[in-house]
Parts: sequence; C-alpha cells; structure tokens
Amino acid sequence: MGTAIVITSGKGGVGKTTSTANIGTSLALLGKNVCLLDADIGLRNLDVILGLENRIIFDIVDVANGSCRLEQALIRDKRSDHLFFLPASQTKDKSSLSTERMKVLVEELKQSYDFVLIDCPAGIEHGFHVAIAGADQAIVVTTPETAAVRDADRVIGLLEGENLKSPKLVINRIRVQMVRQGDMLDIDEIVQILGVDLLGVIPDDESVIRSNVRGEPVALNADSRVAQAYRNVARRILGDSVALMLLEEPMGFWSRVKRRMGGKA
Amino acid sequence: MSVTVGSEIRPLPHPPILVKGVKEGLLFILDDHCNFQFLIEHLEDLLGGATAGLFDGATVNVFVDYGERSLVQKEIQRILSVFLNKKNFVLREWGYDTRAHEGILANHRKMGSDGNFQTIFKGTVRAGQRLVFQGDVVVIGDVNPGGEVVASGDIYVFGRLRGITHAGVRGNRNAVIAAAEFEPMQLRIADIVSRAPEVDGRPLHTTMEFAYLSEEGMAVDKLQYRTAIAATYHT
Repeated sequence: MGTAIVITSGKGGVGKTTSTANIGTSLALLGKNVCLLDADIGLRNLDVILGLENRIIFDIVDVANGSCRLEQALIRDKRSDHLFFLPASQTKDKSSLSTERMKVLVEELKQSYDFVLIDCPAGIEHGFHVAIAGADQAIVVTTPETAAVRDADRVIGLLEGENLKSPKLVINRIRVQMVRQGDMLDIDEIVQILGVDLLGVIPDDESVIRSNVRGEPVALNADSRVAQAYRNVARRILGDSVALMLLEEPMGFWSRVKRRMGGKA
Repeated sequence: MSVTVGSEIRPLPHPPILVKGVKEGLLFILDDHCNFQFLIEHLEDLLGGATAGLFDGATVNVFVDYGERSLVQKEIQRILSVFLNKKNFVLREWGYDTRAHEGILANHRKMGSDGNFQTIFKGTVRAGQRLVFQGDVVVIGDVNPGGEVVASGDIYVFGRLRGITHAGVRGNRNAVIAAAEFEPMQLRIADIVSRAPEVDGRPLHTTMEFAYLSEEGMAVDKLQYRTAIAATYHT
C-alpha cells in the first residue's frame, strides 16, 4: 500500500508541475515505484515536462468515465522502469472529475505503487478539492515572494480544514545573492510565517528551464544543483535526514579575488 | 479551518450541518466554510434521505443559521426549498447570527468579571481565514498577512500580528487591539480604519503594543500604559 502526496501551492507558476516531475523522478531513481498523476484537467503540463506528450492515448477522464482501463491510460516513463504517468485531459474541463471518482482512482493506484504524486492545479476551486481528495499527505510549493507565501498560507489553512494536517514545505527558486542583499524573503522568514516543516529548498537555476524545454526532468542531470536539491527532497520523503544544501555558489577565482579586495562577490 | 466562535475548536471532520434542540424548536447550524455542493447534498440527505423520518411528526419551529457564508439567490432558494418541503416545519428564523444560535453560544461561554465574554483561541490565523468572536479574544499564535480576527470586544494577540484585526466591531470605541509583535496590515476599531504605524516606511518593531482610539483618532502605545490611558479617555 503506497502513499498519495498532493503537490499544491495556490498560486500559479511557482513550480508545482516541475516539482512533481522532479520529486517523482528522484524517488524513481531511488528505486521506488512512482505514479505521477496530472490533476490539472484542461491545462495539462506534466506530460510536456516529462517529454511524454506524444505517447498519450487515454487520460484520467477516460479512466474516470470507464472509457478505458486504468492500465491502458498509464504511460511508462521512457527513462525509468519505476516511473509511471497518468495524464490529465486537455479537452475536458475540471468539472469532468468528481472528488469521489478521484478518491477511488488514487486508492486503486496506491495498491500498485509506493508513491502516487498528484500535480494540483493552481487556485482553490473545484479542481483543487478534487486534486487533494485522495491524498494522504501534502507538499506545498512556494517561492520567496510575498504573494506566493500568502497563497501558500491560505492553502495550508484549507488543507488543515480538509484533514491534511502538517503539510510539508518546498521553497522553490531561491536566489542566494538576492536573499543576501535582502531583496528576497529568506528561508527562515517564510518558515516562520507558514509554521510548517521544511522539506527542501530548490535554488533558482537556468538548467530547470533548459530541461523543461527538452522534456527531461532536471533531476536526471546529476551535475545540476537543482537535481541535487530534488534528490534530497526525495530522500527526506523516505525518512532520511539530509542536511539542507549549502546554497552558496561555489566561488570562482575572480569572485574570490574581488571579495578579498573588498568588492561584492 | 472553520470560523470558530467560542473557546472550542470543532473536531474534524465535522458534519456540515448541526441540528440542535432549542427551547422553541429545532436549530440548524450550517457550516459556513465547506463547499456549497457538499453542504446541500448533506442537507438533502439529512431531510430527504434515510434520516428523513426523524424529522416527521408534529409541527415544529425551525431556525436556520448559515453563519458567515455569502449565498447567492440560487443557493438561498435551494436551501430554503429543502426546508419548505418538510410539511411540519415552520421556518421562524433565517439568517446569520440568529437569536437561537446566539442563545446557545451564550451558554457555552464563560462570563468575564465585567460581564463580557472572553475567549481564548489557540493556533495560527492563516491568510483567508476570518474568525469572529463575541466579546474579548486572546489569540495564542500568529495572525498571518491576509488573516482576519473580528471581535466585539478587545483583541489580544500573543504572537505576531500581521493581518487585519477589527476590535469593537459592534461600535464599541473603547475596544483595543494588542499584540506581542505589532506589524498589522490594518487596524480597525469600531467604525475607524487605520493602517499600522510606520517609522521611515518600516513598521514599528517594539514590544507589546496596543491600538486604541484617542480624541485625535487611532493611537498606538505601549501596553503598560493601557490603564493610565483608559483613565484619561474613557472615564
């Protein structure tokens, strides 16, 4: 019997889908059987980030309607035998899936996978309630901006109301330089406002955009710091205690010289 | 999280409809935070499903309290039609803050020494949550930006106040707002609205402070001075 985790944020564009793809990939790399479920019906993106959009035949609405069997809609990742993907429908809208049907579906998936990761749509309307319906745990993604933290706070309140107590927090797109200069909210401040456990901090990096365009989750690229951060998140989900990554950029020769001379590195 | 009135925090998951026997008849308290569809399905099931028989029989007075929920015309009709379909129901009251509901709450609350209700709320008030209290309230926890605490009396926050607080909501201009860390988004006392005090564009960062209405408008001072100030203005 597996665990269903919904990945949500309230605000759009903070990295729910990217986080779902990469946490899922990282868990699969650690040998767990993972199913990613795209609950953003009508605006599906997860398939693009995974690079699997050309393999979709059936989707979650087809399964819910009984137009196909669950196994027919599941797509195996081209890079890993442990990672599976259930796409959202692009043509239907959010009303085509009910909370009851979602619960049954997630329950069914939990029988055969260690982790079911649900990619939640932005907003707190029907789509949100459907996405969190079957989940046992929640991960809230936020960025170090006031608006994103406000929405995360709202969502945590709603999750607590729906019996998803103590959601975990992922802070995405941290820029060390900006935090140091006081232009960005720092990690402590965000954690203090939201009052939930921190699961990981993901640095802002161009490699994410590059990977998303190519349809290869960045977690597969072992050299990337973002990949390392996502892999750490996956290990923390499995219960390992992994120290927070040092976010400082490794200093090059010239920045070291500059710092020694009293300039800003 | 639901709007919590009184010192109890309702256990979850709770049914969206609470039926209480009051002296004059039956009081239906509709949860004001759950989704409307969920509420109406539960209500239709309660009064039309397997439990329908429970409510049949002699004519009974019915009071319906929908709390803080804002209902559109269609939703009102839908809810009311369920009640009107019961032949033996006589709808006596429909609204928020119904007298029957107030009556029940009053029994649950402790009376303070000055005859005011006093409530302690433990937990974080998060963005989008609006808590309404009768009388004074002590919040043990933070009020986050976007969160709102409303009370007919004083509001004391033992934590960081960064949201909106409205003290003396029924017009009591003597009400005060106090917080251990005072960085509110907005202060409201009775019918006066004000922004938080700022020095050089940054919020004041000091120890326990409180806001009150002076002759010149909203004023903020150290809590230690409260009794002295109260003596000056409100006697």
